[in-house]
This record gives sequence, C-alpha cells and structure tokens, in this order.
Amino acid sequence: MDFRFTEEQEELRKEVHDFFSENLPSDFESRGSGPGTTMEQFKFWMELQKKAGAKGYLTPGWSKDSGGLGLTDMEQAVFMEESSYWGTSWPGTMGQRICGPPLHVFGTEEQKKRFLPGIAKGEAIWYQCFTEPDAGSDEANVSLRCVEEGDHYVLNGQKTFITSPGPADYLYTLARTQDIIPKHRGISLFLVDAHSPGISYGALPTLGIFTTEIFFDNVKVPKDRLLGELNRGFYHAMVTFEFERSTTGAAAGARRNLQELIEFCRQEKRNGQPLLKDPAVRDLLADRAIEVELSWLQGWFAAWHFSQRDKLGSPPPEAGGLHAKVVSADRAKQLIDAMGLYGQLRSGSKYSKYSGRAAQQWLSSRSTHPGGTIEVQKIVLAGRGLGLPRIPAKFNKEIRAAIEGVGV
Amino acid sequence: MDFTFTEEQEMLRTSARDFLETECTEKLVREVEDGDLGYSPELWKKIADLGWLGLYEEIGRAMMPCPHLSTVVLGGMTILEAGSNEQKSEILPAIAAGDRIIALALTEPESAWDMKQTWDAAGVNVGATADGDGYVIDGIKLFVHDALPADTLLVAARTKKGGNPEEGITLFLVDAKSQGVSITPLITIAGDKQCEVVLDKVKVPKSSVVGKVNGGWAPLERSMQIATVLLCAQMLGAGQRLLELSVDYARTRIQFDMPIGINQYIQEHCVFLLRDVNGCRWSTYLAAWKLAENEPCDMEVSVAKAWSSNAYEHACWCAHQVHSGVGTTVYDGVLPLYSRRGKTFQLYMGDTTYHKEKIATLLEDWSPPERPKGAPLGLWEEKPPFWIPDWWAEFDKGT
Repeated sequence: MDFRFTEEQEELRKEVHDFFSENLPSDFESRGSGPGTTMEQFKFWMELQKKAGAKGYLTPGWSKDSGGLGLTDMEQAVFMEESSYWGTSWPGTMGQRICGPPLHVFGTEEQKKRFLPGIAKGEAIWYQCFTEPDAGSDEANVSLRCVEEGDHYVLNGQKTFITSPGPADYLYTLARTQDIIPKHRGISLFLVDAHSPGISYGALPTLGIFTTEIFFDNVKVPKDRLLGELNRGFYHAMVTFEFERSTTGAAAGARRNLQELIEFCRQEKRNGQPLLKDPAVRDLLADRAIEVELSWLQGWFAAWHFSQRDKLGSPPPEAGGLHAKVVSADRAKQLIDAMGLYGQLRSGSKYSKYSGRAAQQWLSSRSTHPGGTIEVQKIVLAGRGLGLPRIPAKFNKEIRAAIEGVGV
Repeated sequence: MDFTFTEEQEMLRTSARDFLETECTEKLVREVEDGDLGYSPELWKKIADLGWLGLYEEIGRAMMPCPHLSTVVLGGMTILEAGSNEQKSEILPAIAAGDRIIALALTEPESAWDMKQTWDAAGVNVGATADGDGYVIDGIKLFVHDALPADTLLVAARTKKGGNPEEGITLFLVDAKSQGVSITPLITIAGDKQCEVVLDKVKVPKSSVVGKVNGGWAPLERSMQIATVLLCAQMLGAGQRLLELSVDYARTRIQFDMPIGINQYIQEHCVFLLRDVNGCRWSTYLAAWKLAENEPCDMEVSVAKAWSSNAYEHACWCAHQVHSGVGTTVYDGVLPLYSRRGKTFQLYMGDTTYHKEKIATLLEDWSPPERPKGAPLGLWEEKPPFWIPDWWAEFDKGT
C-alpha cells in the first residue's frame, strides 16, 4: 500500500497549481454555482479553458495526437483535483469528462481526429444528451426515435434536464434504434451538430445548475456520426460512468470549501467568541473534515482502480460517489442551520455572510441526481455490488397492472 | 499510489483467518466470557507462537478476546520506546513468547465521565509519591482492560501537579501480585473483564519507572495512537463480517415467498453497511500507512477513529435490522457478540465525539485557502443571482 504520488505526478500538480495561481484573478471567489451567469464570466472561463487546453492540461490522459499529454488516468485525476481545488468551472467539462473518453475508446480514426482535439484544446462545448421525460433513472427507456433513411439517420423526440454550461457545439446523444427487450440492447450513440436543422432548445433552470430541454424534429444525422456499434450505445456509455465516478475533484473542492468555512468561523463572532469556538460549529467542521478525507480516499481509489483496469477490471460499484452525495446534502443542511437567519441570504445581499455560500450549497444539495440519484445508486450497489436480488423485469407489467387495477 | 497489499501481507491475512476460524469459534468466545480470565490462555499462546500479531482485522472479524492490544501495543511498544535496557531485555522476549501479559492502567473513576478527560493527560490523577528508594502509588484505576490475566500493570500516575498536565505523568511497571493491588472485574456489556484496579499504597522500586520521571505521557501517547488505529482495524474486520452475514441472510431468508433482500428497505441497510465498512477501511489504511511511514498523522488517526466508531455502531444497527429477531438470540446468535463486544472498540481510546473534538482543534490551525495572484477583473462582484445565463439569449436565437 502506498498513498504517495509519483514524482511526475507531483510535478504536474505543481505546474497546474502555478497555472491557476497565476491565471485566476485575485478577486476571484468560487461560490460553487457553475460558470457564472454574466457574459463576461462565461468569456473568462472560455479563455482560461483554451489556455489550459493549449498546455494539454484539460485531458492529460489522452494521446498527444488527440490534444492530451499522453499520460495516464492518474494524471487526469491529479488535474481534476487541482482544478477543482481552485473552484474552476469549465464550459467544456462534459466533453472532457463524459463524451470524450468513450470517443477515445470507440470512435473511428476519423471521428477522433475530428472531435477530440476540439475538446482537449477547450474550444468545443458538448452536451451529454441522455435524459428524457420518461428516461431519467431508467436510462434504458430512451425513446428519442432514430431511423435510417438513405445515407443518414433521422432523429425525432425530446431530451430534458441537459446540463448546459455554455452554448453547445455538439450533442452526445443516446437514441432508440431498435425496439427490443431488454431495452438497453436497442440504443445507439450519435455525435450530433448542435445547430442541425430541426433542433430547438428551451431553458430549464434548476436549483443547482442551468439545464435545457432539447427538441428533435426530423433532424438529419450523417451515417458517420454513429459512435461505435449500432445498438451498443448503452454499453459504450457505461464507460463514461466509470470515468465519471472518481470524486477526486469533489474532494478537493470540498477541502477548499472547508478552508473557506474555517476562515469565516475564525473571523465571525457570535456571543462574544469566534464561531470557531462554538461547540456546534466545531462538530460541523469536524464532520466536514472527515468527509473531505473519505471522499479523497474514495476518489483516489476509484481513479487508481480505473487506471489499473487492464489488470483489475472495472472499478467495483462501491468505488462510486454515493458517499459524497449523501453526505454533502447533510452538510449543506447543517451549515445553513448553523447560520441563523443569515443562512437564507444569497450572495447579492449586502448583509450576506460567507458570500452566500450556505444558501447556494443548500440549494444545490437539492439536485443530487446528476450521475444517478442517491436512490438509484443504492439499488445499483445492492444489485451489482452486493448481489442482492431484484424484481425480474418481466413482472414490472404485472405490478403496474395490479396497481392500475386497484385504481391507484 | 497503490491500494493493494503485498503478497506477503495477503498471505498473513489469509492464514490468520484460517487459523482463527478453526481456533477461535464463537463457542470459545462465549466460554471465555463466562470464564474468569477474559481471554483464552491456550489460544493466546498459539497466536503468540505463530507471530501473527499485527492482524487486527482478523482478530476483529473473529471477535477474538485476547490481551494483545494491552500487552504488545500499549505495554510492549511503550517499553520498546521508553524503557531501560534491563526492562527491554527482561520483558520484550517474554511478551514475544506469549509468557507475559501486561495491562495498561490509565483511566480513572473521575475522568471516565468525560471522554475529553478520559484519554488526556489531565485525566490522570492517581498519584505516585517518592518514598525512600522508590514510589508509593495510591488510588483507583477503572476500566482497565486485561487486568485479570496480567502479570504486570503499566500504571500511569501523576508525579507532578500544576503546569502542563502532560509533563507530570510517570509510567510504572507494577507486579500485579504486589501487596496493595486488588483487581475486580466489572460487569460490562461485552463481558470482556475490564477491571477496577485498586492501588492501595503500593510500593514500587525506582527501577520500575518506564522512561523519564514526569515524562511518561509522550511514549504512552504514541502507543495509544497505534492502539487507536488497531481498534479501527478490529472494527473494520468485524464490520466486514457483519456486511457478509447480512447480505447472505438477505439473499437466503424467505418471507412473503421472496428473499427479503428483494425489498429496498433491506437493501438500503446492506448498502449502508457497505458504505460504513468502506469508509472504515480506507481511513484506517491511510492512518496506519502514515503511522508506519512516521509521518505526522494526528488528523488521519482521529478521522479513522471518529468515522469507524460511528460507522461500526451504525453497521451493527443495520445488521440487526436485516436479521431482526434471529439476530438477537444470545446463546447461538452471532450478531449479539458483534454488538456487545464492538461497543468496547468504539469507546476504547476515545469515541467519535472525542476524536471529532480533536479534529476540530487541529482544524483551528488550518490556513485560509490560497488566493490566486492574477490581476483583479471585477467579474465576481456581489450581484443578485440570475437563473438564466447571459449567453442563452443569443444561443436560443441562433438555433
């Protein structure tokens, strides 16, 4: 067992650390609310993203041809950790972390050449278009219809709750290509131009992040935009989830947050003494410190396991972020409760304390669904992780009929 | 980074488990509880002979009652660290051969009320006064583990009052058969024979002092830190067993014509068990690794113990919920052993509240987050929040 990083990893960390230290403005304050809402903020992040991309930092684990540094997933995790520590917000994060990796694995040479450098250099913005009104937790229930017509495919249907950190260039889209049981064997992945005729968007802001609805009306997609094999899209997408699991970034963000919180509690007084001496606050801070360490460990275990997948296979389900998720929601509540009436104030108010972070974190803690709800993660852990039985899908219809029969 | 054990470490673990599964049956654990000594001399001898002394996960898994932590870690490691050459050459080989059992007499009736006091130097008030060629120790030590079978007591006594409480404690080796020593077992949940040790004007020679006079706390603290991590490992091993038992039961127990594990209420308990045990695992390994590397590890040790104590309690609760009535039978049930004996692990060397307070104290020294050095841009002024970003309008128009 060894919890040390290699010298090369430490070097990369230092390099990336200095990059952020020099390039982030001294008045920058991360409030964990996404890339920000003003045009200036968005432009700032795009510029910085391109700067980082030019150095290969965004995707150090990718080959040099694809715009990376030819390093491993461990270095990728080092970058994520450093970048999240500073509270950065990349408009291209979906491409770097979610759409790019399967492209790297399953894409044709032409697709790789065409799409990967744009992601690695921080120029392109991708949306991960999986969720639909009837395919949320039940991802395999995707019904966005895709049919072959001559030399192209035609898409019809709707996506929703699509995380939108900037104006999209490409949509990484899951569509139904075959009606089959089990449902997940008839789904394919497409790389769609965001501005294709027939696509329209609707704003769908949520408590945590900005999302959109996307409507597909006879959208033509060229044949060479199919990723991997037809009807294997669900399996290809699973690779993404393995990439998505490592929580090293979340842990680093949480560590900085804790530092900010400690500093706040050091300055702020209540009943004549610093908050830092208040027993309830100390309890809260200790809980957070425990969580920071545990999600750091869990994140690095997942990253390390993933980097060893040739030897060890896929990371076990418990390497996922259930822990961090359940807990961050609890902590957000603890924090807002500890702040009395001030907890309600958002960052815009002149009375707001701790830059309104308590309110922001509490609001964000309402959306724990990205990457799978806590409840679905529990089901996955119980089934795939622990081998507990599940109700066989063939009974689902009977159960529904029974419920409808009773008139529920 | 590497999250695996070496082949040698794995082999030790497997052979320890095989050994304990055969030798340390649940029947034996219960017999020991009903007996007088609080440990099994035969088993202890075998373990010591085999030299498998570091494998606390397996000890926890088997719920093995044994005086290893008291003897080897709290006694032996302290003597190794601070003892004189005579003490080392007399005691350490005897420990290694399984011929000498040591008990640490630290906690006291007054300090046991308050965890903060219990495990801190300030809680040590039993006094030792210089008397001719030696010292006289007088007072009561309470919750002393493994005192009944002990040959030797390692007594932490106050030799100087006032000033820094850590600088007035001296460690003494006291023959358990000395005049004035009386040892009475307490009736505890675990049946683990923690004892009241009355030291009634017990005379000890100068040569019984371990380390420096008034300088006993530092070496003891180091051993206690190791013991803390090993207790976490015990809870990890025990918790892992609880997880396996619960998952197995959930898969095989049939009610309403289905395995109970098909119910998500039951599944949730199992998933929480998994989460509890995993947190325990990695925090314990990290603390142990840091200890072994001689790196500063106060934070990691306290995180491991704070998490493990809480998680173990919760793991027991979940396992009981899955097993319901079947998990409560005291004669042949396994779970009650884990619940009862596990409570000691949670409390010993400090519970969650105690270690969280330690963490909070360490956090007071944390520096503020690093500020970036780039030119200020004025982009992050306080503004009321906007739900829809500015870029949206243009993007929406363009599509």
